[in-house]
Amino acid sequence: MSVERPALPPAVQAEWRGETYHGRPVTKASSFDWKVSFYIAAVGMAGACQVIAAVARTRPGGEGLARRARFLALAGSTVGPLVLVQHLKTRSRWYNMLRIFRPTSPMSLGSWLLTAFGGLTGLTAIGEVLGRRWPFARRVADAAQVPAAVTGAGMGVYTAGLLASTSTPLWAAAPASLAAQFGSASVAGAASALALLQRAAGEAGSARRLEALALVAGAAEVLAAHGTERRLAERGLDAPLQAGTPGALNMIGGKAIGFALPVAAHGLGRAVGGRAGALLPEIACFAMILGGAAMRHAVLRAGNDSACRPEHTFRATQQAHLPATRETRR
Amino acid sequence: MDGGLAHPRARDAGPPHPQEAELTAGTRIEPGRSYGFLTDTTLCIGCKACEVACKEWNNLPAEAGGLTGHSYDNTGQLGAHTWRHVTFKEHGPRQGEMPPFQSNWLMMSDVCKHCDPAPCLEACPTGAIFRTEFDTVVVQQDICNGCGYCVPACPFGVVELSKEDGKAHKCTLCYDRLKGGLEPACAKACPTDSIQFGVVEDLVERAEARVASLQKAGQDKAYVYGAPGTPGATGGIRRLNAFFVLAERPEHYNLPPAPSRPARNARPAFLSGLATMAGLAAAALLLGVGRR
Repeated sequence: MSVERPALPPAVQAEWRGETYHGRPVTKASSFDWKVSFYIAAVGMAGACQVIAAVARTRPGGEGLARRARFLALAGSTVGPLVLVQHLKTRSRWYNMLRIFRPTSPMSLGSWLLTAFGGLTGLTAIGEVLGRRWPFARRVADAAQVPAAVTGAGMGVYTAGLLASTSTPLWAAAPASLAAQFGSASVAGAASALALLQRAAGEAGSARRLEALALVAGAAEVLAAHGTERRLAERGLDAPLQAGTPGALNMIGGKAIGFALPVAAHGLGRAVGGRAGALLPEIACFAMILGGAAMRHAVLRAGNDSACRPEHTFRATQQAHLPATRETRR
Repeated sequence: MDGGLAHPRARDAGPPHPQEAELTAGTRIEPGRSYGFLTDTTLCIGCKACEVACKEWNNLPAEAGGLTGHSYDNTGQLGAHTWRHVTFKEHGPRQGEMPPFQSNWLMMSDVCKHCDPAPCLEACPTGAIFRTEFDTVVVQQDICNGCGYCVPACPFGVVELSKEDGKAHKCTLCYDRLKGGLEPACAKACPTDSIQFGVVEDLVERAEARVASLQKAGQDKAYVYGAPGTPGATGGIRRLNAFFVLAERPEHYNLPPAPSRPARNARPAFLSGLATMAGLAAAALLLGVGRR
């Protein structure tokens, strides 16, 4: 492990003093828009649903939850990619995503992960539909459950790795905490959505446990977001996630609606109880799903903003920030 | 039994076919070797002949820009239809005497760096971006589906999606010309040899010699950006096949001082993300998720 620090000649000013080229951007912003953030939220939730389904299968009485989780995962892994394909600038060639396998590209990994996850989720859902008549279908579904949960865990977080593996300063600054943020938001969203379904199905006890899981995941998300934002602030890259629309999405959407409101609503619901607090858990669950999606959209928009700020690119690419490397290839 | 076969003399390779590049760039163009550009900014006079030659040869449309107010740079940036871009930065007061190198202005003909390894290529999920037999990086237009992932992957802001056809475009280092034994259009058109085309190893030697002679002539700020072990070739990027001789900090030329390979971030993200998912799955088990 060493850090390469090629030197400039002594006559050249050693420290960067904020110079830019006429204030023009260095890097180009991605074309990723709301369709991509919708996809990130939808497949993240679908993936986390399969993790929850796998956990539910280990409990007697968890069949109802597992069934709903499998169907919700199927819905998410169908609608998400359909929306994502609309973002391609040459949509008719969407299948070229499966033309090669490129281990260095999180987007290529994600395409194959999505394919595997979609297939496995299809098997688990078919097992639910046909299982009553053909026990074989149920056995196939149960065999597919653990691989579906493992690929599902990947679906919840790979999108953060995808954004982090770019030259966009804000996305690349904190890969580990960004992935923790995306993963816990996926679990919070899935647990909230399933809690809504469980309540509608009359399984209130199960719904309460899911809501507790959603709050734990929400707390983990807030912690991870704190880590990301601290790293951004250290490097002077935090402005895009604080100002303007992305800032509002992050603070009001991600933090207030995504965590503070659900905590308050659950607390109030427990305190008031009875009929007065009947809708509060539902409100909390909806808020959590929306908040998770808003957080992803805020990160996406703020990243596009940061790519257009030359001073951010230059701050992020000063020699002091070079990672220790083990390579060189060849 | 010889019927239908070519005469043995016709199958002899014979002496190599003369190539135009031997006359104009002093190098033969053969598959299997690494070709690139040395752009010596101390020789650039800002004539933009490279921009014009590139547009002419590659049949690229003009981009209506207007005046930017950024010195003589009305091109603005590299993009889907602009594969050479001359940057201008007026630099300090006019000097009374003229040293034998470019001094008052910083001018640089920017271009795709054809990095090794190339972040755009590493990001491309379709295989549309590939490394050619000349060690250059090219987007195959019949495969690209416009996912746009190469655009934020590039540390230099080179690749861009075209609004017209929805594909990613960038400099091909005149792949078609190289196949025909011609040096790239921009290098051939450059009147001061600020843009030099050749085998990368030769160009690196030439760049080092040029920096040494500039230092001797009094330009003590000259250095190489993008050759192995120099600024620009950092963070897992071994070298830029199109590299530069600069005479100021890279930021003045809109170049990142120490770029790195973005794909390095995937591993920490996946590991921490999967650990988070495992932790929350354990939390779900502890909370009794699934019980009625």
